[in-house]
Amino acid sequence: MDFKTLLNEREFLFLDGATGTLIQKSGVSYDHNPETLNMTHPDLITSFHRAYIDAGSDLVYANTFGANSYKLEGCGYTTDAIIKAALQNAKAATEGTEVLVALDVGPIGQLLEPAGALSFEDAYDLFAEEMDAADEADVIVIETMTDLYEAKAAVLAAREHAPGKPILVTMTFETTGRTFAGVSAEAAALTLSGLGVSALGVNCSLGPKDLEPVIERMSHYTDLPLIFKPNAGLPDPNSSEYDIVPQEFADAVRSITKHGLKLVGGCCGTTPEYIACMKKALADVSYTPQTKEEGPVVCSASTIVHINGPRIIGERINPTGKKLFKKALQENNIDYILNQALSQVEAGAEILDVNVGLPEIDEKEMMVKVLKAIQGVCDAPLQVDSTKPDVLEAALRAYNGRPIVNSVNGEEKSLSTVLPLVKKYGATVVGLTLDENGIPKTAEERFQIAKRIVERAEALGIPREDVFIDCLTLTVSAEQAACKETLEGLHRVKTELGCKMALGVSNISFGLPYRELVNSTFLTMALEEGLDLPIINPNVDSMTGAVRAFRVLRGIDENSLDYISSYQNYTPPAAGGAAPAAPASGTPASNAPTDTAETAGASPLQNAVLKGLKTEGANATKTMLESKDPLSIVNEELIPALDKVGADFEAGKIFLPQLIQSANAAQECFTVIKEEIARTGSGSVSKGKVILATVKGDIHDIGKNIVKVLLDNYGYTVIDLGRDVDPKLIVETALKEDIEAVGLSALMTTTLSSMEETIALLRKEPALQNADGTSKVNVMVGGAVVTPDYAERIGADFYCRDAKATVDACKSVFKN
Amino acid sequence: MIRLEALDRAEAVRYLGDARVQMNSAMEHLLDECEEQVLRVAEPKFLYKVKDLPCPGLMAGNDIAEHLAGCSKAVLLAATLGTGIDRMLRVEQVKDMSRAVVLDALASVAIEQVCRQFDEFLQGEFPDLFQTFRFSPGYGDYPIALQKYFLTELDAPKKIGLTTNDNFLLVPTKSVTAVTGLSETELPKRKRGCASCNLRGSCNYRQRGDHCGF
Repeated sequence: MDFKTLLNEREFLFLDGATGTLIQKSGVSYDHNPETLNMTHPDLITSFHRAYIDAGSDLVYANTFGANSYKLEGCGYTTDAIIKAALQNAKAATEGTEVLVALDVGPIGQLLEPAGALSFEDAYDLFAEEMDAADEADVIVIETMTDLYEAKAAVLAAREHAPGKPILVTMTFETTGRTFAGVSAEAAALTLSGLGVSALGVNCSLGPKDLEPVIERMSHYTDLPLIFKPNAGLPDPNSSEYDIVPQEFADAVRSITKHGLKLVGGCCGTTPEYIACMKKALADVSYTPQTKEEGPVVCSASTIVHINGPRIIGERINPTGKKLFKKALQENNIDYILNQALSQVEAGAEILDVNVGLPEIDEKEMMVKVLKAIQGVCDAPLQVDSTKPDVLEAALRAYNGRPIVNSVNGEEKSLSTVLPLVKKYGATVVGLTLDENGIPKTAEERFQIAKRIVERAEALGIPREDVFIDCLTLTVSAEQAACKETLEGLHRVKTELGCKMALGVSNISFGLPYRELVNSTFLTMALEEGLDLPIINPNVDSMTGAVRAFRVLRGIDENSLDYISSYQNYTPPAAGGAAPAAPASGTPASNAPTDTAETAGASPLQNAVLKGLKTEGANATKTMLESKDPLSIVNEELIPALDKVGADFEAGKIFLPQLIQSANAAQECFTVIKEEIARTGSGSVSKGKVILATVKGDIHDIGKNIVKVLLDNYGYTVIDLGRDVDPKLIVETALKEDIEAVGLSALMTTTLSSMEETIALLRKEPALQNADGTSKVNVMVGGAVVTPDYAERIGADFYCRDAKATVDACKSVFKN
Repeated sequence: MIRLEALDRAEAVRYLGDARVQMNSAMEHLLDECEEQVLRVAEPKFLYKVKDLPCPGLMAGNDIAEHLAGCSKAVLLAATLGTGIDRMLRVEQVKDMSRAVVLDALASVAIEQVCRQFDEFLQGEFPDLFQTFRFSPGYGDYPIALQKYFLTELDAPKKIGLTTNDNFLLVPTKSVTAVTGLSETELPKRKRGCASCNLRGSCNYRQRGDHCGF
């Protein structure tokens, strides 16, 4: 019998209990990997499976939990051999029964990026290797996952390397309803359902009663059958005995089936007795499917967003028409993009659009890099935005959660390429009402395209609620009548097709003065017609404010709680038109940890830098630019001020955070100066280009990041390659960017060898050598375990004991 | 069982500047905020396992042998503040590096405090035995590759989400593995020294060639 039939025929499907517990009780010994017992003691393993089958299990998990090449390294067997043997051992036990066998896939044992160093793609490859050996398995079980990203890698590997096999996924939660990695129960249920698994749920960590709230939370976000495989309570740290007995376990599970449980079993501490008891306890109970929450929901790994009222999508991560953003993409300045992400969320964005399309960069590679970086620091769900299907697919793979795809349109080519991706990855999608003939003039024609998109989506199994129609905003100064068509189209699609509605708003006001006024008025009008997903610049107060006020007035923001918490400290802008100061990110100026008295003879600009005051620094720079040229300000004001702060730090007069705050204040001054230079075209302010990297294998990069702040603010152009950086990438970048200085950091003795290797590779590269054979590249090294002797021995040019010393090294390299 | 209620700020301050720097009110204020944040985000967890000696799997090199000399038991420890702290540090490094360094220092102090609480807990569990100080993979000649042994023995990846990367760096980063020896007889006083300090990576004293005196 196949899994689907079995699932339909049985009221409940009984899984097995713990294998590890039986192995422990048997007293058999093994060397670190219990999976090797499949080879050394096949009959014993088969007898464990048989014991569960005798107790009533319908599906047994092969002894393959840790059978991946990372964990099995050095055990003497290949992953392939162990998995095949394990499946045979299980099959042997099922002979003559209808019991099914699952390949059991546990976590790899290393944390994935961004927390750890294992890349999503490498995790996929490790899982794929397991799936390739799964021919004999009836079902693929992925269990005990704490990272949704890892679970996703495993699910994709199963779908693509063991096609057609049902996939069951269970994750492991704490009492908080979150996993160690911060994944929420709701986000896990949503994301995994979207990825096409057959059932999902929880296993391990706690006993049944403690896991009830978690499975209940999951049940509202999926209509799939739920899996429940708790521990036999908690182990006694001394005796390792678990504290819930079989009858108590069975009674608890019985009372929890009402949340939609369909597949039940046990994890750590449970034995065949638990399964038998549970089977008996459920004999007269019927399966009760759960009720799922209405309406579309998108999520990151930690945060869900219901589209049940207007939700703000931040539009700022997009290079179109933004000079600085383009430059950041060209220079691979990911921090700039991360700042854009965090500041939009702070301003009120609930979902962020991510578009990195620029003709001269590899959009696919950049999209994956940026998505990974954003989800490393930001909890808001993302909308992946590209015109290229291959970029969208790469983004859908790399995204950890349930995203929005931006976008599909009425063109046949778009419908036939984008919608299948939306289906495969379980995403939601924005549908633009345009087609081969461009944007139709009338609301009726746009309505017809919307209808076509919805029908095509539904034909593929994408529910209507997951298609968000955008009726397209045209510029009102060019086509005044078009605004009415957009709003009418929006109203009709919403009321007649029942879709949620998206709309990019800002286009409306091109060519008009005081655009903000037109934008926010149009936004309010669109909200009243039923707009759900305004795509706007959330940093503009009147836009975010319009949405917040609308929510209050339409009774969506109950008791105005959100509105009040957003504006309770609001002070109207001062007369004269200056915008109110945004809540400063980070430490407000008044809290700057610098009590340094005004330095006699220092200019206001220098004082601002010395005290670490950003706004004052920027203002002082503006004033000074009226009477002094930009480069003189840098050389005569900024650099001396930074030098003084650096000297104070060295002399033990100030703390490290104060040094950094001064550097940040200098950054504000530099920004003003750079803008002035861009405006007048009066030469470059860069003092030289420097690569910074934390070496291969090392993930401790705070020291490198401090150096970056300081170098940035001394006017150097920093190319930050991040942490765990391959030596080859450093050499390639040095060649491409014509680099004279490279800074390397390593924190641990184990990664020092990577530093040595990187330097050797830089020295070997002929194109990085001068005519006389000396190296063009000056290497600066630093990090807790690096010593001057060691630096010399591995051929570094400079040993830098701290960030200040790195600045000094750069000054000497670039002779400035 | 382990609760962080206040952090040893004086120790954190040591990593942010040397002893000559005068404390000031603004810095105090920043420390207040950051301490509250670390306490809110940290999810301290630990695991331990008592092993009878000799325990061949645990031994490698001379220093661990010397450390456990005279002991009848060895207690393996794995402790972590969890992934939330790492995420917080990533976010703050983007937003405000000056705050990030303070948080980083306080988090280092926090994991050490977790370990000290464990020391006390262990003394309570074995009131009649004498304890060595905690000794970790990477101290002296004790190979850092032993991280994997500790984590496997304690089932740390599954139980508290603590893992290593290929270079045996612990992930989440604010984590510790260590072994404490237990002896029936009083142990000779040994000085801890920098080689066996968890904070040697970020210690300003050490960078200046000084010593904190502990």
